[in-house]
This record gives sequence, C-alpha cells and structure tokens, in this order.
Amino acid sequence: MSGTSGGLEVRLGHRVHPGLTLDVSFRLGSEPGILFGPSGAGKSTVLRLIAGLSRPDRGFVGLNGSVLFDSAAGVRVQLRDRRIGLIFQDDLLFPHLDVGRNVRYGLKSWGRRAADDRLATIAGLCEIGHLLGRRVATLSGGERQRVGLARALAPRPRLLLCDEPVSALDLDARQALIDRIKAVQRAESIPILYVTHSPAEAVALGSRMFLLSGGQIVAEGPPLDVLASRTSAESTGWNSIRNVFRATVEGQDPSGHSTTLGIVDGPSLVVPALDRPPGSLVTLAVGADEIVLSRGPIGVISARNLIEGTVDRVAPHGPEAEVVVRTGGVTWVVGVVPGAVDSLGLIAGVEVRMIIKARSCRVLPDGPT
Amino acid sequence: MIGDLGPFWLSLRVAGLATLLIVTLGVPVALLLARLRFPGKGLVAGVLVLPLVMPPTVLGYGLLLILGRRGWLGGWLESAFGASVVFHWSGAVIASTVAAFPMFLVPARGAFEGVDPALEDAARLLGRGETSVFLSITVPLAWRGLVAGGVLAFARAMGDFGATMMVAGDIPGLTQTASMAIFDAVNADDPGRAAGLSLLVALASIGAVLVAQRTMPGRGPGR
Repeated sequence: MSGTSGGLEVRLGHRVHPGLTLDVSFRLGSEPGILFGPSGAGKSTVLRLIAGLSRPDRGFVGLNGSVLFDSAAGVRVQLRDRRIGLIFQDDLLFPHLDVGRNVRYGLKSWGRRAADDRLATIAGLCEIGHLLGRRVATLSGGERQRVGLARALAPRPRLLLCDEPVSALDLDARQALIDRIKAVQRAESIPILYVTHSPAEAVALGSRMFLLSGGQIVAEGPPLDVLASRTSAESTGWNSIRNVFRATVEGQDPSGHSTTLGIVDGPSLVVPALDRPPGSLVTLAVGADEIVLSRGPIGVISARNLIEGTVDRVAPHGPEAEVVVRTGGVTWVVGVVPGAVDSLGLIAGVEVRMIIKARSCRVLPDGPT
Repeated sequence: MIGDLGPFWLSLRVAGLATLLIVTLGVPVALLLARLRFPGKGLVAGVLVLPLVMPPTVLGYGLLLILGRRGWLGGWLESAFGASVVFHWSGAVIASTVAAFPMFLVPARGAFEGVDPALEDAARLLGRGETSVFLSITVPLAWRGLVAGGVLAFARAMGDFGATMMVAGDIPGLTQTASMAIFDAVNADDPGRAAGLSLLVALASIGAVLVAQRTMPGRGPGR
C-alpha cells in the first residue's frame, strides 16, 4: 500500500433530519482515529457518507490523494471502486456463504494463488483459521465480528471504517476484538476511523479523537485530552467527569474490597474492588465536582485518597471555578465555588491536597451508558 | 386405457414454456417492485396480481379481445407476421403465462424484499459490481421464494383450463391440453382416460415440487 500523503480528508455538509445538519471537517493521517460523540450525534452517518453508502448533500471526501466524492466537481466514486473496508455493529456476514467464502468474497479479482495466500494471512491475523469451514449461523458474536474484520481487510482496503463493532458483544469479547483491531492495524498499517460513544474504547484504540457534537467536530486531539476537556463535558452530556486517565492495576486489597490503581505518570489511587489481574490497563474517571481540595492539616477521614499536588491555574466559569492541579505528569480539574478559591487562597503555585473517595473513582470498562 | 398421451405432453410443453416466460419477466418486475419507489406503484402491483382474483374464463375472454384477429395486438400480429395465436398452442402458452404470473410474482417480490439491502452494500464495498452482487448475494438469499414461486406458477400453468380454453380452444391434436382432455374424457364417459391423465398431471406437479425441494439449501438463510 502506498500510504502517501493526505490520508483521509473530509469536508461534508449533510442534513440528517430536520433537527440535525452535519457540517463536518477533519483530516486523518495513518493513525487510528476515533469519531466520538453521544448517541444521535450523527457519527454513523458520517461514516456512511465517507463509505459512500449515503450520498452527502455537498462536500468533499478524499483518500490518499484521490477524490472519492466532490459535489463541486460532480465526482462520486462507485462503492465498488472505493476500496474502503467497513465493519458494522451488525456484522452483515453473508448468511449463505461459509466463513472462508465470506472472507474470500472481496478477493474475486485476485488470482487463485494470491487469494489463497491472502486468506491464510488474514485468517491468522484475525484468528479465524479454525473457523473457515463453518457456517456463519454457528458462530458466536465475537467470532462473527472477527470474521467481519477479516472480510473487510482481505482485499487490502485503503481505509478501515468501524461502526461501533463491539457494542453487541460482552465485555471480554469487546476487549478481545479491540486488541485484535489494534494488532491488525499495526500489521497492515492501515488508517482506521472508529465510531464509538464509549470513552474506554476510544482511549484503548485511538491516537486521535474527533468529538462530534451538534453536527460539528468541536474538539480534536489525543483521546484523553479531548475527554478531559470542558467541551467534551458540555457536548457529550457526560457531565463533570473531567479527569480521565489511563491506569494500571497495581494490587488487590487483602480484604477484597478495594483495588489500587497506578495512574500512568501519576499517583496511585484506591478504588472499589476491580476484577482485573495486576498489570491490566484500565481507564479511570473522576468527576471534577467529586474532588475536595484542602490546605493545612487533615484529621482522620474516611476518604481513601489524599493526593498532594500543586495548583497550576484557576479559571472562573460563571458560578463555579475550575482549579487545575498538577500531580507528577498529570493534571486534574477540580470544580469549586468561587468562595472556596478565596478562602483557601488558591492561586498558581500553591500546594494543595486533593481528597478523593474511593467510591468517586469510576473505572470504565465501557462508556458512560 | 389412457389412450393418446399427446395432451399431457402438450400441457408439459405449454406449462414449461409459460414458466420460463414468467420467470424471465417476473424476476425484473419483482425486483423493481421490491426495491424501487415510484408513483402508481400500488396500482401497477395491483394490476399484475389481478389474474389471481379474476375468474379464468373472464381472463381468457379479455385476452381473446386483445389477441383475437380484431383485437389491437392480434390484428397487428396478423398484419405484420400473418400469424395468429388464437386457436394455436402458442395462445395456450400466453393464456397460462398471464394466468400464472402472479403465482410467481407475489412470492418472488416477497423474497427480494426479504434480502437486506445492507448486505448488498457490503458486497459492493468489497469490490463487486451490480451483476455480481445480484447473482452472488441477492439471488441466493431470495432463492427459496423464487423457486417456490416458479413451482406454483408451473403447477398453475399445468392445470389452467378456463383461460387457455377461451384463447386457444379445445382442438384435439393441436391445442387440447391435459385439462381439456380430462374434461372431454369425463363428458365422453371414459373414466379410465380421465383418471389416467389426472394421475399424470398430478404426478408432474408433485414432481415439480420434489425437484424444487432438492434445490433448496439444507437450512434457510440463517438470519
């Protein structure tokens, strides 16, 4: 594949329904991109427009320097010539073909030898070698999605679009499929655009996140940054959860009631018991309004987490204020009332302690539901 | 005892040709009705299934008016080719084609409607053109309905009496089909011939069902 300059370029205007008009512009290089937003934001529609399954009202879609759609120039490349792989929430496997024939479906124009080789490679990558002779109806949900992934990737698409492919799977199968997609992405070095409303999936998979809200891309950047931004909290309705970190499981409390997590480049926290082995990566979220700030001595209290930090800046936001606290390599956003800023003397450089209850720490196996 | 088997062979030939015509015309029509939206679609669909609810003799009379020497189509055929389908076995083919057409159209349309267009889009995205998608996805997934419709149409054409009689008449050795021969045998008090021909027609229809069943996949499209 010539992963030449450009990658994916999207500028689209499209009326989805009277209450939602998309006006979306973004560029994606060869990294895995996440299209994130609340349900009903139009994420799947954007994907359908890029794939060509729906016709955009106006705009432009370019991929690796070639034009797929350009309303101004009257260009609309046929589906069969787009060379875009798509995996769906509903896997859309062909029910009358066995697994092997499903995966081979896009290899019709390849020579027999080349198709055999490609099938073997892709079956290995997606771990479906043992399923090739099976009827589609006999597969589990996770197997079906792996077959769907293999089928989409077999003809070497120039872009892989994923429309919430794990949402119908149970937790373990979700994690497995996301790991699989990551592995495949590396092996095939193919750009991915992945639609989800789940922060955990976004953090686990993406290196660039586009936040879709009100029909527009309102924020873009590394997933953790976008998730922690005020824009994200406002536009996703995922209120006040402003602190999102990747963390590893460090150990279990002997009583079995709590688990210690180590935030990557940051402090350790005690959270309610979590059934994950030490070393597992998880996503940790703490609401900005659930953190208490303190200066001076603290008596014996029930909160499990007392974290030393330095105030980085204080930003007023109408009836509330945002205090940004730095601990090691990570920053926290704490919501307080303006009166607290005055009585604690919160200004940049002041040492504070954050008091966080274990029960205020949410470990995200999945989205905010 | 059965006597001359000519009428039975004629019925087979007429029903076979009629089924061929019906499937050839019916597949595109069913696909259009299943996939396209256009004004007057309900009317078109209604007219096409009209033969199902009309008495066969009324249908046959209507065809006679159109195809007869003074009918607009029949008159044109006469002047252009010097040919007439009235009182000719080709008239029997046309009559049973019209009479049996809805028997194929209704299940075929339902079968095409049952194929998820998203599967066809998935196939297109995998690099296949329209013909390839139709043959490799649409037809296999609609197969049961298409075959069922074909069998129904064949059986209906095989047994047609009224419409064929009106258009092609009952000329022994020329247009007399098995149904007419059975009717004549009963009138002529020849129960052996009537029973024998009836048995043959019944076996042919049952045979068509059996053949159709063998073309079905072991289990339905598991969706």
